[in-house]
Amino acid sequence: MKLRTDLDYVDFYAEQLKKDNKIFKQQRKLIESQLKSSSSLFKNMFGRNFVLNARKYLRKRGLI
Amino acid sequence: MNSGYSIKDNVIIIDRELTELDLFVRKFLNILTRYSDYLIVSGFVSISTGRSRSTEDIDIIAPIMNKEKFKKLFGNLVKNNFWCYNSDDYEEAYEYFKNVNSIRFAEKGELFPNIEFVPFDSKKRAKNFEFNNPQIIKIKDFEFKIPPIEFEILYKELILKSKKDIEDARHLRVFFSDFIKKEKFIKYKPIILSDLK
Repeated sequence: MKLRTDLDYVDFYAEQLKKDNKIFKQQRKLIESQLKSSSSLFKNMFGRNFVLNARKYLRKRGLI
Repeated sequence: MNSGYSIKDNVIIIDRELTELDLFVRKFLNILTRYSDYLIVSGFVSISTGRSRSTEDIDIIAPIMNKEKFKKLFGNLVKNNFWCYNSDDYEEAYEYFKNVNSIRFAEKGELFPNIEFVPFDSKKRAKNFEFNNPQIIKIKDFEFKIPPIEFEILYKELILKSKKDIEDARHLRVFFSDFIKKEKFIKYKPIILSDLK
């Protein structure tokens, strides 16, 4: 089976996962590594006035 | 090899360990459910069932609640280490909520992940339908409510439609191919499309 498009990869991954739950371990690593990187990035970016600086950033992004 | 999921008494049981993201969602739900019913929709439905992608927010819908209840919920969230993006003042946050605007909560000192807490009222037929017809998912001892899988797939394909949503829908179609039912797609389609009118 040749995987050409992003949807081919989604299909392939979901099929494998359906058959073998060990693949969830990779997914867990991906999720937790993203959370760690994001946490460290924003802690450094916003410093001690976390909430104040976070709200400034969120306003710029149109999230609040 | 063990399969990724099984079904018992119509509950979908995902056979995997809990992630940090699951623990964050569970913590929020443990507080929310003291005051309101809820439904987790969108990205977390796909991610909790194995879709391998990152996310910043978890969408949780709930009916609009009265101010007194909201005050208690807000206070309890703050007491349990959450902060609200929109305001530190519950009255200000409630103004957003009662006007059917989302508000967001994250853990103190963190920006992501966050809960996008989405209120809805009786005018939204699709939201009311999915809310009243939940599917239960269980991962270890963590149980939570999502829309019927067929409903979630169609909502992503017909309403949201971004590349990410189409891929999420495809993941659900393939992963749950032995569970989903054709007749449910036919039943749910007009309900979902009714929100576009």
